[in-house]
Amino acid sequence: MGTSKARASTKVKKVTPDVPARHLPEKTFVLDNGAYTMKAGYAADPSLSSEDALAACTSIPNTIVKTRDNRIVVGAQLSTQVTDWNEAVFRRPVEKGYIVNWEAEREIWEQTFFEEKATARNKNHRIPAPEETTLILTEAPNSMPILQRNADEMVMEEWGFGGYARCLGRDHPFSKVILCVRSVLMKKFLGPTLNAWNELHSLFGDPLTSKPDTDILPMDCLLVVDSGYSHTTVTPIFKGRPLQRAIRRLDIGGKLLTNYLKEIVSVRQYNMVDESYIMNEVKEAVSFVSNDFAADMERTWKAKTKNRLEEGVVVDYVLPDPNAGKKGFTRPHDPLLHAKKKKGAGSGLSAEVLSEDVLVLGNERFTVPELLFNPGDIGMTQAGIPDMIIQSLSVLPPALHAAFLANTLVVGGNSLIPGFMERLETDLRPIASADCVVRVRRAQDPIFSSWLGGSRLASNREELSKVAITRQEYQEYGSGWAGRRFAGAV
Amino acid sequence: MFRVELISDKGAAPTPGWTYVADRAFNPAQAAMAPTLSRKRGIRDAGKGGDMSSRRANAIIRHLAELDRENQRDVSIPVPVKQAKEAGARGTRAKTTSNVRRILQSQKSFRNHLDDEEAALSNAAASGAGTRGANLALKGNKAVAAAARRSSTPVTVASSSAAKKKRVSTVGATGLSNTTTAAASPAPTTTPMEVDEEEERKHKLLKTEHDDDPLLRSYAPNMPSDRIIQRLLAEPPLSYNASRAGPPNSSRLPRHFCCMCGYWGKIRCKNCHVRTCGLDCYRVHEDSRCGAFF
Repeated sequence: MGTSKARASTKVKKVTPDVPARHLPEKTFVLDNGAYTMKAGYAADPSLSSEDALAACTSIPNTIVKTRDNRIVVGAQLSTQVTDWNEAVFRRPVEKGYIVNWEAEREIWEQTFFEEKATARNKNHRIPAPEETTLILTEAPNSMPILQRNADEMVMEEWGFGGYARCLGRDHPFSKVILCVRSVLMKKFLGPTLNAWNELHSLFGDPLTSKPDTDILPMDCLLVVDSGYSHTTVTPIFKGRPLQRAIRRLDIGGKLLTNYLKEIVSVRQYNMVDESYIMNEVKEAVSFVSNDFAADMERTWKAKTKNRLEEGVVVDYVLPDPNAGKKGFTRPHDPLLHAKKKKGAGSGLSAEVLSEDVLVLGNERFTVPELLFNPGDIGMTQAGIPDMIIQSLSVLPPALHAAFLANTLVVGGNSLIPGFMERLETDLRPIASADCVVRVRRAQDPIFSSWLGGSRLASNREELSKVAITRQEYQEYGSGWAGRRFAGAV
Repeated sequence: MFRVELISDKGAAPTPGWTYVADRAFNPAQAAMAPTLSRKRGIRDAGKGGDMSSRRANAIIRHLAELDRENQRDVSIPVPVKQAKEAGARGTRAKTTSNVRRILQSQKSFRNHLDDEEAALSNAAASGAGTRGANLALKGNKAVAAAARRSSTPVTVASSSAAKKKRVSTVGATGLSNTTTAAASPAPTTTPMEVDEEEERKHKLLKTEHDDDPLLRSYAPNMPSDRIIQRLLAEPPLSYNASRAGPPNSSRLPRHFCCMCGYWGKIRCKNCHVRTCGLDCYRVHEDSRCGAFF
């Protein structure tokens, strides 16, 4: 039985290139399904600049939230319906970067992309007719076959997309353009690979060698560092395809950083253990990666109160007050604030200031993101990002090292932490071979980079049809074949 | 094993008359009676050499699991119940298939899937399928080993000036990626202009008698052949656990931080081995939090 199936599929492969009957729907929907947010939208015309193309892309929280007053709110409605984030609890269908819980994921997708009433106002990410749409969906590297199969079956059988590709969301640099494709239509890609389809040469300051009217092609060698919500991965991409043996993962991502900040703040100041959302905002507002850890540590030492103000590492974060409709914000640290508050109204402070709750953040600001570079600080035995890059390259032929080190692209939300890029480059330089040039760049828009690559891949119909499958093919050969096809085996 | 021993000197001993002494002599009779005691001791003593005690390791694993949580408490958030009318909205679509129903009803977490995969992998390794996979992997390794071997041999550049040029200029990243492109793609993309530039550079380089010095020669590795690249690209993905980053390459000493204020942890609590930065923090720790024993 198995052999007959295999024979049938090889036959198809031979015929596909020039058979027009194999129809991938024109409209291509790119979905970068992250653990924290989904980046979704229709693939834009490749002639548009990346800013214009991104206008078609929306970022939607990929979660179901239960608020303090026990309301349950799904994905896209969060921004309008939830104002009080205190004690909000989250259910995320994506665990460790992989879609695990399809019950929740289906609900979020339905509410965001399919249901008429809920999506009526969102033309950007509404899919009225899945059967006439090709989906490019991204996936994290080193996924498990069972999870990939579940995704394929859900996409094809529950919604019945006309075409589908599942791919790694990574960047590939090619001579001119990097496409980062993840799977939207009926095609799955590893998320990171998509990045290779973006236009990265300008980012690296290379001369554009290809003519503007040529097809969009991925970059030759690109090392993508993707530091996201669940983990940080390193993916070397050669001409748009991942070198699987060298993909490495550090189990530290935005979630762990937020939880760590939550924990240390709860020990030192207020109990914030239930305030994931608020602490995430605090983290985004104040954290930075130190380029001189020991010196910053001395600067924030509590015994050294005198120099604190002028050195400016310590800040106050005023917590949000949902009752008064106020958002949280940072301001320079005022060492006397606490004493003044004790005096109460007599101190001349306004009632507003007296009622606010303040977190004083000193070394918390940089010891938290420091974990990405020194996981040993919390006892983890894994290597930090720079060491991980070297480990990844160590299993590849040495001739490729230089090309990868010179074309290192960082994507993912953590790369937005101030100082991240500088630190990565300074840490990588001494451990890389002295013969190599080390160039580390952040994608123009690190969060949407993979989506953009997917959108560019979609504009290259030929390339896309090589990786995508159609609805008819799926119905004929089933999910097992689809999985092998996305793995590149068929 | 411990034994109690009477100590004769009266001066320095803080305890009156007796003290614990570790009995390190091997006594088979005693070892047979209580074999576990010395084993535990051994694990704990190993900690002094820079390793961690098993309790400490467990505490770290617990801590990491805690940091990995989505919510502090275990909560179940049900998917909102759909109204009958809305549920009927999918009328245009095909009926739910058995696959979809199975997937939706699965309550497996990532942990469960990971355990399943590990079990399947170890099963496969035990059975014949494993040997086939291993063979494949072996072949792959050989290919790469071949690549490594080939590329570690010095480049056989005919003219010494070319060697020198490589050392001086090709290190430039653009140059490198250019060479990559040229070597890897069937149609090299070097434009006439670039060729001119290269020739120019060649002319500019001085010839010296040191060009043949083995110490000064550049050993730029050869680009792996197309076959090797294809092999590499065709490899199947690693498993989830296999792709985890390994321990740090350089063995730096672990850094310790004060558990109270986050400054360097210079003092270790005698009860629970947690670090504090000074007496201030130590006192707070002792009063309120010290309780765990390692």
